[in-house]
Amino acid sequence: MLIYIIILAGSFVFLTGSALLALRWALRTGQLRDSRKTALLVFDEDEPVGRMTDHFPGRPLPPTDPASPPISK
Amino acid sequence: MNSQSSPSLRQALTPSDNDSSPERKALLAEIDASCRRPVLFMFANGLLWLMAGTALALLTSYKMHSPNFLADWSWLTFGRVRPAHLNTMVYGFASQVAIGVAIWLMCRLGRVPFMQGGLVVGATIFWNIGVTVGIVGILAGDSTSIEWLEMPGYAAYILFIAYALIAIWAIIAFRFRRERHLYVSQWYLLAALFWFPWLYSAANMMLVIDPVRGTVQGAVNWWFAHNVLGLWFTPIGLAAIYYFIPKVIGRPIHSYFLSTLGFWSLALFYNWAGIHHLIGGPMPAWLITVSVVASMMMIIPVVTVAINHHMTMVGHFKKLKYSPTLRFIVFGAMSYTVVSLQGSSMAIRSLNEVTHFTHYTIAHAHLGVYAFFTMVMFGSMYYIVPRLALREWPSARLISIHFWTTALGILLYVVPLSVGGVLQGLAMNNPDIPFLKTVELTKPYLVTRTFAGILMTVGHTAFAVNFVWILARRRKAYQPPVPFIAAGLQQEAGAQLGKDI
Repeated sequence: MLIYIIILAGSFVFLTGSALLALRWALRTGQLRDSRKTALLVFDEDEPVGRMTDHFPGRPLPPTDPASPPISK
Repeated sequence: MNSQSSPSLRQALTPSDNDSSPERKALLAEIDASCRRPVLFMFANGLLWLMAGTALALLTSYKMHSPNFLADWSWLTFGRVRPAHLNTMVYGFASQVAIGVAIWLMCRLGRVPFMQGGLVVGATIFWNIGVTVGIVGILAGDSTSIEWLEMPGYAAYILFIAYALIAIWAIIAFRFRRERHLYVSQWYLLAALFWFPWLYSAANMMLVIDPVRGTVQGAVNWWFAHNVLGLWFTPIGLAAIYYFIPKVIGRPIHSYFLSTLGFWSLALFYNWAGIHHLIGGPMPAWLITVSVVASMMMIIPVVTVAINHHMTMVGHFKKLKYSPTLRFIVFGAMSYTVVSLQGSSMAIRSLNEVTHFTHYTIAHAHLGVYAFFTMVMFGSMYYIVPRLALREWPSARLISIHFWTTALGILLYVVPLSVGGVLQGLAMNNPDIPFLKTVELTKPYLVTRTFAGILMTVGHTAFAVNFVWILARRRKAYQPPVPFIAAGLQQEAGAQLGKDI
């Protein structure tokens, strides 16, 4: 039974360890810097900030938004 | 490289040559065109399994309060129908749709067209063969009786190979990405695509192929079953939420820092939490205690995600009225907060002593897999399918029916069953109450669940009708879905994509 517990605990360590390795890579390659710019990655020139991109078919879009509140840093 | 000149298999696996020169970021229409066949194929198959799983769910629920119903046919006895329902939903519907959404998101965020869509369609056929073999195996009496892994071993091999053949192309899409910086959704997707094969293969090896002995089976089983939800469905669901809420309302996520904190804390804590299902069982005390602690630590990612989603939506809640995607996604996001905090509380020993072995756990599981994950997947499909089919959804009324019946249905499912579960647990812990009484007192809650199931069936049928309708309409002349493609791109997209129709 001990060997199975070790294998199971090893799986816990493997999954957590892989997450730590990925975190190390992210820190070294600057993936966690400039969060303001990264938050804007879902937008582009085709679907920019401020434009609602989904609506019920055949129904009107909502009135244009006022300026969006600032993004926290 | 564009959608017309996909790299060869060898180039796709060794993309280093492409890293030296900056590449043009793909147009959204180009990306959608490359994803059309594989992703729509996955969605279509997923919906077929959803309808099959719904029928099995209704049958299972009805049998809970009318056990003699269809009890003379061994294929439809409760012990077979119930795992058939679970596996149909988990592997036929949820996983398949999740992979489709993951592929589309990975390409969109990496600004790269999907490669080798034909191969992925073939692998998806293989996946569906695996699910069919597994479900028929369960109904024929060949179930392993291991929760969430009831499919016989021969089906597990097929599923694993098919998964590898599909997921590798999502990873390659990531490797080829033209946007080098990673958005938080990509972290979640990558993690899920990596974690699932590890979980599935390790659990199958230790439980089905070369089974471990004794109580360790329970530990491995719950390590797997809990992590399938937390390290497979949850990351893909959260990836979709982090993409679609900002995308639909047109506002960036409230705090990107919080989103990364949520991801890394989930990555570090979640996989330790599953053994809390064995509180009171014959397991090493330290293993269960570690699991209880990890379950409490999960409050960190849950609260960060909840704050972030809520603060992003502040000032935009009125848009729920206009967007079907937003309705489903926000419902799913709110359910994620509730189910996760509920899950942490269920690791508290005193509460666990009451709720364990009761319908409370069943309600909790459905709150997670349905109210959170499935609703998010529905919302994602409402956004993705029109962009791939190049059509608006045919019927707004069917969308409304789908939302309200599923939302009310799952609430009617979860709330009464949770109450019934607590009463059942209190009764079972009372030695003065005969066991049969504890069963009988749950009957009104089980009947309510069947009504909830009927409501959800209506919603699923409405969704399936709308889905078939939108695909059938593709045969008509192409009309760009105006709100979906920027005006300047419509002609280009039409010229490029209209050829395929």
